[in-house]
Amino acid sequence: MSDPSFEEAQRELDAIVERLERGDADVDELTKLWERGEELYRLCVGKLDTVRGRIEELSRTSES
Amino acid sequence: MKVEATEVDGRKVFAVRAFSKGVASWLSRLPTVWVEGEVTELRRQARWASVFFTLKDPDDDASLSVQMQRTRFDALELELTDGERVHVFGRPELYEQRGELRLRALTIERYGLGAHLAALERLKRTLAAEGLFDAARKRPLPRFPRLIGLVTGNDAAAKRDVLTHVVQRFPPANVLVAETYVQGPRAPDAIVAAIGELCRRGVDVLVLARGGGSFEDLLPFSDERVVRAIAACAVPVVSAVGHEQDTPLCDLAADVRASTPTAAARLLVPDAAELRAALGRSRAALHRGAAVAAERHAQRLAHSRERLHRAPLLTLERRRSRLDTVQARLAALAPQATLERGYAIVRRGDRVVRSPADVMRGEQIDVLVAEGTFGATVE
Repeated sequence: MSDPSFEEAQRELDAIVERLERGDADVDELTKLWERGEELYRLCVGKLDTVRGRIEELSRTSES
Repeated sequence: MKVEATEVDGRKVFAVRAFSKGVASWLSRLPTVWVEGEVTELRRQARWASVFFTLKDPDDDASLSVQMQRTRFDALELELTDGERVHVFGRPELYEQRGELRLRALTIERYGLGAHLAALERLKRTLAAEGLFDAARKRPLPRFPRLIGLVTGNDAAAKRDVLTHVVQRFPPANVLVAETYVQGPRAPDAIVAAIGELCRRGVDVLVLARGGGSFEDLLPFSDERVVRAIAACAVPVVSAVGHEQDTPLCDLAADVRASTPTAAARLLVPDAAELRAALGRSRAALHRGAAVAAERHAQRLAHSRERLHRAPLLTLERRRSRLDTVQARLAALAPQATLERGYAIVRRGDRVVRSPADVMRGEQIDVLVAEGTFGATVE
């Protein structure tokens, strides 16, 4: 399976958070959901940091 | 005046010269008159005693030779050119050598300004009634013209001014110049032809430029043909003709009027420096916008993560409290709880006594209550 897009990952993360917050998740599933959520979070943050780095780089080079 | 004739075979015959002299003498008795027409074929040379030109009706082939003393002509300082409409005051005379009739001019006046103005006013009303000057017809100029067509005189300062200012404001501008007559009788057709040619060459905006001049100089720009060509032009037209106070009819038919070549340049092209500044502002806003959007995403993500971390513990706590409830209920069912309420369990040996038949009188039994056990004897 290829990496989900930022949007897809964020949507899935939000769905997991909502599911967890409803409190009806199976206890055996909790860890799995939590780990998947963490994974999605790191994926999103990674993508975001790449984009932010690129923006900053562009801003720097365009100021000259 | 007596004209010599000879008798030949009983008929009176005149020599050519005598005939001409006679006609000339008769003509010379006619009164002086004003004749109106267009000057053509003006011939003036310093070594000639006279100036010659032909006077023509504008819409007709009728023509008349005119002669005037050069000194008298020069004194008028009219600087006439071909095609100008004039009033000539003079008397008819015969050029005896050739037997040709001509008008000996005593003075010349330019066709009256008033007459010109009246004719212009009539034309203006006609064209206005046709809607040629309607505000609704005015088209916006292209913001970034690909190719600008410039109709102008061949040595005109106006040409240089427009070009200089256009390029100064917007260096990458492309201008196609059509040099043409901008005054005199040939100007209207030449201007119309130039407009057509530039349109065929694909310009997307047109400018007519001519510096200031006398009322007559600017007349071609009020010519019906020129005005109609401007109104019918496929691309928007800027009129930069004459000075502020002049209003040739082409100004009214054009989409925009510019009072100076600088103003024309301002209308035709954007200011590159301003454009660059605006682009810079857009870029800064772009960077800011991108940073803000990224920040918002980051915050949202952080928030999601916080919830992610909190949620399982909440679930576990909830489950835990449910378990506690169950345990409590379970505990309620335990014997100890029953004993606490005052019940007792009676045992004989290790068997629980459930019926009086289970024991016999005098037998030792054990009684278990909430806080301990004691022995008893059955009676």
